[in-house]
Amino acid sequence: MSHTHNPGDGGAGERHAAPMVEEITDFEVLEIAVRELAIEHGLFTAEDHRRFTEWAESVGPAAGSRLVAKAWIDPAFKARVMEDAVKACKEIGIDWAEPTGFGTPSDYMNLRVLEDTPTLHHVIVCTLCSCYPRPLLGMSPEWYRTTNYRRRLVRWPREVLAEFGLVLPPEVEIRVEDSNQKCRFMVLPVRPEGTENWTEKRLAEIVTRDCMIGVALPRPGRTADVHPVQKAGRPVQR
Amino acid sequence: MSARRDLRQQQELIGAIQPALHVSQNWNYAVDGALYKAYMHPPHDVGGQFDAPGVYEEKEEEQWELNTYVTCEVLGWRGVWNSEERRRRADNDLGYSLYLGIPYYGRWILAAARMLVDKNHISLAELIEKVAEVKSRHAKK
Ligand SMILES: [Fe+2]
Repeated sequence: MSHTHNPGDGGAGERHAAPMVEEITDFEVLEIAVRELAIEHGLFTAEDHRRFTEWAESVGPAAGSRLVAKAWIDPAFKARVMEDAVKACKEIGIDWAEPTGFGTPSDYMNLRVLEDTPTLHHVIVCTLCSCYPRPLLGMSPEWYRTTNYRRRLVRWPREVLAEFGLVLPPEVEIRVEDSNQKCRFMVLPVRPEGTENWTEKRLAEIVTRDCMIGVALPRPGRTADVHPVQKAGRPVQR
Repeated sequence: MSARRDLRQQQELIGAIQPALHVSQNWNYAVDGALYKAYMHPPHDVGGQFDAPGVYEEKEEEQWELNTYVTCEVLGWRGVWNSEERRRRADNDLGYSLYLGIPYYGRWILAAARMLVDKNHISLAELIEKVAEVKSRHAKK
């Protein structure tokens, strides 16, 4: 069995897929050991772990898509989103207080929605780690966590967006928001032309995760974010 | 451009500061300004650092990665640690070798293990024994 190790390689696109292993890895061992010890010592219960896992598997970008589509159709809702996004999320069935009653321990209940205009484009990053609005968009994509994206976006946003296939004209100002522990951001893109009279459901289909991070723009016919996918050795069992 | 050359020199120094393990370190007052700056460089606060364009990939999540995320969060839920400890220190401020050398969630689970020992919830011996027990439980028969 070959084991690929590449110390110091934190850049996007240069990582190696998890090796196909039959034996349990050291990280898997440590994960089991820590979880079992914490439960044995009464720090949390197996039921706590199960409940949180259920929540983690229930979140995803579909909630954000619904929020954007509703905001496009209903100006009063959009105003409420801009006023207090966490409160407005309840109207689309997302309660930031889940699953603990005070939110997740890392996603403080503070969301700001960044409204794009024809001359202003927003994009989000976390330069210190990988802060991301999980209750609304689910788990962050791998590329969002890479040092490469985090290093370069704040200094060369126009170039990085072009690498994602999003070439913005020079007259469009780009504003990068650096997410942090206490405040999470999400982009509300401009409703594209050619979507007049569309239903909310149909609009939501073109609001993909990348559009809400700000590395893509919604348009009719674009319903998925396409990136290379690295396979897991032992993927999450659903 | 001298700014660029200075930056390059600084980066080379940061890359070269792994101390020589066979040399006595505690009296190393020969740390000059440039070396001091290199030692103080935070590996994880990366905004604005140089890098070359890359490929923006997705990754399928490993089961242990989801479990690690949940364990770390549930430890927060039950008040064993808070997100300031995790984000500012435990998960990220690890020095270059660990920060860039092990996987994202590898840093998380390592942080959780260290924290449990540091706060005396478990002893180091207990952790070592547990790891050995888990390994033997999952060893191929
Ligand atoms: Fe972060």
